[in-house]
Amino acid sequence: MVHALQRAGQRLRPGGALISIRPHPTWRPLVSILTGKRRSPVARLINPDFDRYLRATEAALQRVVDEGWFGNARRRSREYRICLDNLSQLRSYLELINPPRPRFPPGTRAHLEALWKSAPPGARIEVTESMMVNALTKPR
Amino acid sequence: MRAALDLSAYPPDGMEIRLIERFASLRGKRVLEVGCGDGRLTVQYAPGAASVVAMDPDRPSLELAIDECDYRGINNVAFRLGSVERLPARGAPFDVALFSWSL
Repeated sequence: MVHALQRAGQRLRPGGALISIRPHPTWRPLVSILTGKRRSPVARLINPDFDRYLRATEAALQRVVDEGWFGNARRRSREYRICLDNLSQLRSYLELINPPRPRFPPGTRAHLEALWKSAPPGARIEVTESMMVNALTKPR
Repeated sequence: MRAALDLSAYPPDGMEIRLIERFASLRGKRVLEVGCGDGRLTVQYAPGAASVVAMDPDRPSLELAIDECDYRGINNVAFRLGSVERLPARGAPFDVALFSWSL
């Protein structure tokens, strides 16, 4: 990753911007059940293998700043929500994600299924995802 | 009811571009996109950019991106198969390098 950032830096004009957009490094996807206007959080998904990639990316971004390849580091994060109609769509949604895929912590999938069975008609499943944008500037 | 095929694990169209443009405008800029995948993000900003070089190491994804740009009549994107490390160190400079969901 460091080499990729350095190569991009070599091809940027002085003052040019390097933007990295990716999943948030620490916020985990939150699965909730929506009933009317009420949101009931059920589980935060876990993905230890993917977390390693995210930490490596964070370290690489910090390293190219520390080494003077870039400066003026700024960041901003956002959440976004995916609404799903049922558990089948939730399975499909999770399968869309490139491996390594997130998974439910032990016991929480069964808890979700039990809550979903008792949810009133019109209830939906919501996944709150998050992203992080880093902006670095090539020195002039 | 929403069809499963309409599902996406990415943010709604426009959300990423709005967030990116808080830091750097892409309009009229020469953009290097690293990890363009199937061009989902590329087609959102390329029409306003001066030019785009979009790279991805996955050939099937890149072919989807090329088809999508063709379909939309976007003709200012040059696609490159491979990783950014294989981009020559010297060449025409870019204004913005965008690492889009590539780790």
